[in-house]
Order: sequence, then structure tokens, then C-alpha cells
Amino acid sequence: MKRVATVAAVLVALALAAGVAASTKHSPSGVEKAAGPNKLTVWVGWQARELNEFKSVVAEYDKAHPDVTVDVVGNINDDKITAAIRSGNAPDVVSSFTSANVGVYCGTGAWIDLAPFIAKSHINLSIFPKASLYYTQYKGKRCALPLLADVYGLYYNKTLFKKAGLTRPPKTFTELTAYAKKLTQRNPDGSLKVVGYDPVWTFYSGNAPDMSVYFPLFGAKYIDAKGDSILSKDPAWSRLLQWQKGLIDWYGYKNLVKFNTGAGQEFSASNAFETGKIAMLLDGEWRVAFIAAEHPELQYGTAPGPVDPAHPDLYGAGYINGTIIGIPKGGHNVDQAWDLVKYLTTNDHALAKFSNGIRNVPSTTSSSRSKELKPDAHFATFLRIFTNPHSGTTPITAAGNAYGTLISNFVNKWQAGHAKDLKSGLASLDKAIDDQLAQAEKGGGGPP
Amino acid sequence: MAQTPVIQAGASAPAFPALDRRRARRAAVWRRRRMVLLFMSPWIVGFSAFFGYPLVMSAYLSFTHYDLLSSPRWIGFANYRYLLTQDPLVWPAVKNTLWFIAVGVPLQVLFAFGIALMLTRAKWGLGFFRTVFYLPALAPPVAAVLGFVFLLNPATGPVNTILGKLGISGPLWFNDPAWSKPSLVILSIWTVGNTMIIFLAAVLDVPKHLYESAELDGAGPLRRLRWVTLPSVSPVILFSIILGVIQGLQYFTQALVASSVAAGSAVQGGDNPQTIGYPENSTLFYPVELYQEGFRFFHMGYASALAILLLVVSFAVTTIIVVNSRRWVHYGAAAR
Amino acid sequence: MATASVQLEAAPFVRRRPPATVRRKRLLMAIGEHSLLIAAALIFLMPFVFIALTALMTHNQALSAQIWPHPFRWSNFVDVFRQAPLWRWFLNTLMYSGLATLGVLVSSVPVAYALARLRWRGREAAFLIVLIALMLPPQVSVVPLYVMWSKLHLVGTLWPLIIPNWLGDAFSIFLLRQFFLTIPEEYLDAARVDGCGEIRILTTVVLRLAKPAIAAVALFSALYTFNDYFLPLLYVGENSHNWVVAIGLSEFRSLHQVLWNTTMAATVLVMAPVIVIFFLAQKAFVEGVTLTGVKG
Repeated sequence: MKRVATVAAVLVALALAAGVAASTKHSPSGVEKAAGPNKLTVWVGWQARELNEFKSVVAEYDKAHPDVTVDVVGNINDDKITAAIRSGNAPDVVSSFTSANVGVYCGTGAWIDLAPFIAKSHINLSIFPKASLYYTQYKGKRCALPLLADVYGLYYNKTLFKKAGLTRPPKTFTELTAYAKKLTQRNPDGSLKVVGYDPVWTFYSGNAPDMSVYFPLFGAKYIDAKGDSILSKDPAWSRLLQWQKGLIDWYGYKNLVKFNTGAGQEFSASNAFETGKIAMLLDGEWRVAFIAAEHPELQYGTAPGPVDPAHPDLYGAGYINGTIIGIPKGGHNVDQAWDLVKYLTTNDHALAKFSNGIRNVPSTTSSSRSKELKPDAHFATFLRIFTNPHSGTTPITAAGNAYGTLISNFVNKWQAGHAKDLKSGLASLDKAIDDQLAQAEKGGGGPP
Repeated sequence: MAQTPVIQAGASAPAFPALDRRRARRAAVWRRRRMVLLFMSPWIVGFSAFFGYPLVMSAYLSFTHYDLLSSPRWIGFANYRYLLTQDPLVWPAVKNTLWFIAVGVPLQVLFAFGIALMLTRAKWGLGFFRTVFYLPALAPPVAAVLGFVFLLNPATGPVNTILGKLGISGPLWFNDPAWSKPSLVILSIWTVGNTMIIFLAAVLDVPKHLYESAELDGAGPLRRLRWVTLPSVSPVILFSIILGVIQGLQYFTQALVASSVAAGSAVQGGDNPQTIGYPENSTLFYPVELYQEGFRFFHMGYASALAILLLVVSFAVTTIIVVNSRRWVHYGAAAR
Repeated sequence: MATASVQLEAAPFVRRRPPATVRRKRLLMAIGEHSLLIAAALIFLMPFVFIALTALMTHNQALSAQIWPHPFRWSNFVDVFRQAPLWRWFLNTLMYSGLATLGVLVSSVPVAYALARLRWRGREAAFLIVLIALMLPPQVSVVPLYVMWSKLHLVGTLWPLIIPNWLGDAFSIFLLRQFFLTIPEEYLDAARVDGCGEIRILTTVVLRLAKPAIAAVALFSALYTFNDYFLPLLYVGENSHNWVVAIGLSEFRSLHQVLWNTTMAATVLVMAPVIVIFFLAQKAFVEGVTLTGVKG
């Protein structure tokens, strides 16, 4: 019995020692905080191939600055960023895909004000496109800079088009609907085999349920000059939602949901468009790089998204957004961090290399003219959409992304047929958004 | 055991033996108290730090606005007012949790008891069957949920495939707001193994002579079940109901994982924040809503108010069940 | 009276041999009941079977409605480790589970003993508090505790999960106390007469007698911490370095290139250790579960 006890005690001691050793190897905060002034941790949202592209850009910076080592962590989302900053474990540099949250990041001071750094480094902000400047600040407080931009357009499968006898991409939503019906194929049991166009909200990025990808195509506005939500007052929204519901009803909502659950994951090689299960798709410009890497045999074309038939002059516009990058509060090596941020956002070579790698839109005027950019016919479409005067981005609010959640709650109910009256539904949605914004202005969106 | 020393007023100088005895007794009392303190010390510290302190702090924070970036700001009853009158998500969350308890707990108790009864009639392979029914309860909840979401995938899952072969068009399971909670209930029944084992032991513990006398009185198998088995295992039934209700009030993991996996990831970089409660808030349970408010939005004051409400309801429900149980629970029926 | 093992075979009682018709009826009923059992058992096993089958499919086949893998892709199990740091997750979980279980045992045994076998004023009130703590939903205490740990800069590590287990666990205290109550006073008195202090009584006499209960507590604690999702999500959710298996598995599908077949393979790998340990320690498991319900 005594021997068992001693053996047990020894094992316990070993386990404890192992535990302590393991946890100190990954420092108490988990995040590898700089051991000295020359280790930087960067958090980004990219994964796999795109993450490797980012790492290769950073590696060049690393080589040029032997006194600094940069550690890149991928697959980060805004929840993790917020949690890290609030619990005091923030990395040195952080980047996000949800520019809408900049209202919260800047408003609460979670990301530090970059104005003094920009002034010290003599950066002229006019090198950035107007839209990108808008979604990296809130009420004049600039806490982020754009790191390559995104723009949405139409991808269409040329093989399927030829089989259906279609020669050019649709220019209006009426044409889109007609094409979609022609391109759709069903299985003998009635389920969908090939979908011409999938309009279900939340299906892939193009159908983001805050309706962001569609609003430039209908010329709709989220808020008026006073900052009040006008989803019920601007007729464009009703037209958009009626069109969408009409197409959903033609397919049958349940059939579409069933099809979507069987569709491959958006960022995998089984992406439904890349494998020919969907004929037309509104997607971001990054898809060009994905197709080149995963399905180079795909015969496809790119074009600006179709527009509201009542406003044909909008054709050529698209939704603009992009990755934002900033320095979180509580970081230790702010000057080093700024140097890296400055390099990533303003260095022509870095931007061109990264843009070539992940096929995102270069976010400064000089890099967009860089000779290092590799031309691509598909990608050129998106560069044109980016500079179209009707292209736009979603409003930045103090509540960050929260209005998007309110909108998505409503449109999800609408498309399932659980919200009968569109007008009153949009009116209550407006009121909810206004209430939320009012709360947020006082400090903190939502509850008091 | 120790007597309190009696001090006589006006006593003359005590004799040495008596004083020593009193001192010895007092010393013994203190030694025992120290021993008890020593043994209880982990719990005393643990209770204060992880039970008492959080409870008081939660109550305090529920009257403040606190987002971890600045210090708590006192706002009185504003959180509670918002909770009870304005928050559009709280009442769906409450309804979902209550539905899950009202439907899930009886079904879980029924299946656990029923399977245990079936097992008692097994003459061959009892060990094998017992293992089969217990195994799902061992699976880590996240693994079990992932498995179920795949199994019940409307397009590619085996369940709908088999239903299709039988000519039935299967429902959309986790993707249909009317079927998402029933799917979770089915999952909870699949993992009912723990309760089943307890029922099995309890049913086997029922004294044989009770059955014999009932049989002699002419009672058939159903009446024996109703009048002998049920009363004898009623303490276990109460135990499983209370356990089920407590677990239902804390139901979090399966709801969160199921909704996020079923919704799929439409956004790069990890989970899409708009999948909580998918589809259409049907899987938004109260603990999930609490998590969202406190640890995604960092409305910690408001989350504390939600927590206090949960505490009050848990306490009330458990008390009601226990008080109510006196009418139908028979203790000491089985001779132990 | 309170035996450490539970008899699970019903003891038959002697009867006269019944007539043939009754015997045939009983045989038919037995077959009927067994068929019901077999059918139910099949339904309960089906999910495991399908998960395992999908784990062996190719990428494209997992997306189709087919049930039988064709061909069998055993390499999925290897792919899982290449796509995600499953080893590190298991290691983290082992550290959390191991240290937490140890802590539960070390801290709960003395408390349970004090509540069961030492006599002192306020003992019943203290036990009532343990009972109340049992029913407390963890969500109630989670916000202030998170704030406390974040001020101590321990958020992002597993310590906020491990440390509370070294200060007593209500369920284990409850279970152990119920069991300690069944130890006859004579054993303890004999030891006291021999001059043993309470501590020695605890370590020599009580521990030896309470082995099944202690094994049950260890098993439950290990299982509970292995399956824990909510607390790890809060504390290490933002730091993928320290993820435990439960978190890693739930995030598995959000990784690029990960499809249903590898997800199911990962699910199988996560379920495997628990099931294996169950088969090795079956008796302890069943006894433990019975102890909770019967003594509860």
C-alpha cells in the first residue's frame, strides 16, 4: 500500500511538472508575447493557401528586418479578436474581414488611434481609395488601414451556358431569373441537381444576409442623411426582397435548403460553383485565385452583377469591402507594430505581391498601377467594378456589425415564408435598428 | 462528546487535576475544530471563491453596464427592464429552453425506464445489450452532435437516404426551425445511457416477494408494473427528472455546435457569427443567449442579469419539483 | 447491506414445471422481447456505424447520398492529423483532465470525510450548501469568474479550468460523503482506539474501504473534464494553441479543405479513447453510475 502511495505521489509530481512545463512553453497568456522588443504576433483571418501567401509577404519583411521576428496566426475571426482584447491578451497587429466592426473598434478604443503614426510617417491618406478610407474609420477616428480590397461580381459557368444556348451574362435581374430557370436541372425525384442561381440568404458569401452584396445593384441605401434606417422607406429594398422571394418560390424553399446542405463548403475544392453544381454566382474577386488553384479546367466568365431593371444605368457597380488592419489596445511593441502595418499597407511591392497571390484588389493607387501586377482577364473585371462610381460599401455604425444580425433575422424569416407582410416587417426592422444605434451611441450596442 | 466546561461562580482556587481536565477537554475541542477546519479547508476556499463570490458579484454586475474595457457603471434596474420588456431574443430563448425541458425530460425518463425494463427481461446477452445502450452516453457531446448533424443532413445524410428508399421525403432536421429542437431531443434520448443504468439497478433491486404477493393477488404484468415496480423506483424517477431539468436549464454545447455546423460556414476565418440559434432562432436556448450577450458582445452587466434570472428560475423549478414529489415518491420501498 | 458490486442477473425462484402451452407462450414472449431488444440495439448502434462508414469515404462520396464507402479510404485517419493539430489537442485535454481529476480527489476526499464521519456543529448546514452548489447552473457564476481570471491574466490558458477542481467539487463531495456514511463506525473506532489521528484514519482505513467510490469519482471527473466544452470555449477559445479536443473538433469544419469524411474521421478518433477505456474498466463504470443514482 505504501509503495502504491509513493508511486502515485511520484506520478503526481511528474504530471504537475509536465503541466507546468507545458504551460510555460506556451506563455501564460497563450499568445506568444514578445520576449523582448523584437517579436511581433500578427493575427489574420486567412487560412491554408491564402495564409501561406500572406506569410510569404511577411517573410520578406522579416528578412529585411533581422532584428524583428514576425509570428503569423491564421483562421482568426472577430469574436476571437474581441475576446483577446477584452481579456488583455491582444496580439501586436490584428486584421479583420468584417470592416463593419470598425465602428466598435474605433469607438471603444479597442484598436488604437493611428492618426499620430500616420502623421509621423508622412503618409498621405489620398493614396487609398475613398471607399476603403470610409470603412477604416468611425466619426473621424482612424483606427485601421485597408489591406487589399474586395469587390463582388458575377461568375458564370460557360459550359452550362453553352448547353442552355446562352451567349452572354445577364445584365438585369429579370434576365438573371430567366437564365436561372433555363439552367436549372432536377433529379428524377424532384430534388435539385444543378441550380441556375441560388438566392437563399446565408448561402456562401455572395448572399450575406445583411443584403450587402445586392444593395449597389438595386441602388438601395441603408440610412438617410440623418443616420436613420430607411429599409422600409427606400423602395429599392422591397424590390430586392420581392425579386428574391419570387425566385425562391419558383425553386421551392425546402428544395433549395436541401440542395445547400449537400453543397460543398465554400472555401474548399468542392465549392458548388467550381464543381458545376451552380451555374451563376455572385462572389468576391478572390474566387479567381481559388479556381486557378483548385479547378483550372473550369470554363467560366466574370462580369459585373446584374442590376435592377428599373435602373440599368447602375450596371458595372458592385459591393466594395476589404480587409482592415490595425493595432489593438494593450499591445507592447506599438512602434514595431506600426512599422509592419505601414509596410503591409503602403509598400507597393508588398501589396502587388500579395494581390497577385490571393487575387484581391490592390488598396493604393500606386500599387494598382504597379508593373508587378500580373494581368488576368477574369480579375480585370473586378478592377473595373472597383472603380465604378456607383459601387459602394455598407454604413459604419457605433454598433458595428450588429445591425447586420437584425437584418439577417428578418430576411431569414422572410425567405422561409414566415413573415407575411413585407412592409410592416421592414418598418419594425427599421425601428429595431434605430433603437440599437441609439443605445450604441450612448456606449455599447444593444442592452443598456 | 466534549462537555462544555462548567465555570462555577465564586469557586475557590481549583484543584490541579480538575483544571488539567478542563484544559485537556478544551484542548481536545480545539484540536477537533482545527481538524475539521483542515479537512474542510479546500471546500471553504473553493466555495467562497467559486460559489459565494461569483453569486454576489453577479448580482452586483447585473445592476451595471460593464464591457471589460472600462470599469462597471451603475445603471440600476435598466438591465432588468430591457430584459423583461425590450430584448427581442430573451423570450424566444426562454421558450426554447422550457420546450426542451417539457418535451425532452419526460421522453428521456420514459426511454431510460423502458429500456431498463426491457433489459431486465433479457435472458441472453444482457452484458452486450447493456453496453450497446450505454455506449452513446460515453461519446463526447461535441462528437455526438457532429455525428448527428451529419446523419440528419437533409441531402446527404443516411437517415434521409434510407427514408427516401422507403418512399418518405425526410424533413430538413437541423435546418428546419420546426424540426431542429426535436432533432436535439432525439440526440438526448440516444445518450440516455447513464439514467438507464441507474434505472436498471433500481428495477433489479425491487424485492421479489413484492412481485410474488402481487401475483398471488391475481395482478397481471401490467398491474404489477403499475403498483409494484413504479412505486419502488419512484425515487429514481424523481432523481432523473431533477437531473434532466437541471441539465435542460444548462443546455448549451449541443445547441451551439449543432446550429453552427448545420448552418455551414459561409464566412472565411472561423464561425459565422450569424449562425447562433440557426435556423431562425429555434436553437437559441437560454444559456446560449447568455453566452452570446456576455462573451461575444461583452455586455457583461446584461449577461449577469440573465444569469440571476436563470438562478431564480432554477431554484424555483427544483423546489417545486421536490415539494411536489412528496405526493408520489415512496422512499424505503426496497429493502436495502 | 450496501454491497460494493451490484447484482445484475435476476435470481430465479423455484417453481413447478408449467404445462407445455404456457411454456410455449413464454418462449414466444421471450423471443418477442429479445427481438424488440435487438431492434432497439440496432437503432442505437446505427449512428456509430454510419459515422465510421463516412469516416472511410472519399471527399466526393461523403457529399453524396451513398452509404457504403467505395473505396475504403483509411488514409482519412492520417489526413486528420495533417489538417489539424489533433495531437496537441489531445495533450492539452490530457493535462486538463489529469490535473483536474487529481485535484478533485485530493480536495474532495477530506471534505466528504469531514461531512460524513466527523461530528461538528453546522455539519448538516454545510452539507446543505454542498447540495445547493450542485444545483447551481455554471452560467450563473461564469461572468464574474471570467472577469477575475482575466484580471489575473490567465484567460487563454487552461488554469482557470484546473484550479477550481483543486478546491473541491460539489458532485464528488456528495458522492463520497454518501459512500463514507456506509462505512461502519466500528472500523473507525478500532483505529481511534489504536491511537490513530483522524488524518491517519482517513488515509489508511477509509481510503482502502472506499476504493470503488474513489474509482467512480476519478472516472466521472476524468470523463466530465474530457467532454467539457463550455468552460474551455470561454477560456481558451481565443487561443488555438491551448485548445482541448472538444473545442478543436467543433471548429474542425471551419478549417479550409475539411469535409464531412475527415470530420467524421476526427469524430471517431475523439470518441475512441473513451470507448476503449470503458471496455477496460467496465465494472468500475457501471458500479460508479449505480452508486450515483442509488445513493443519491
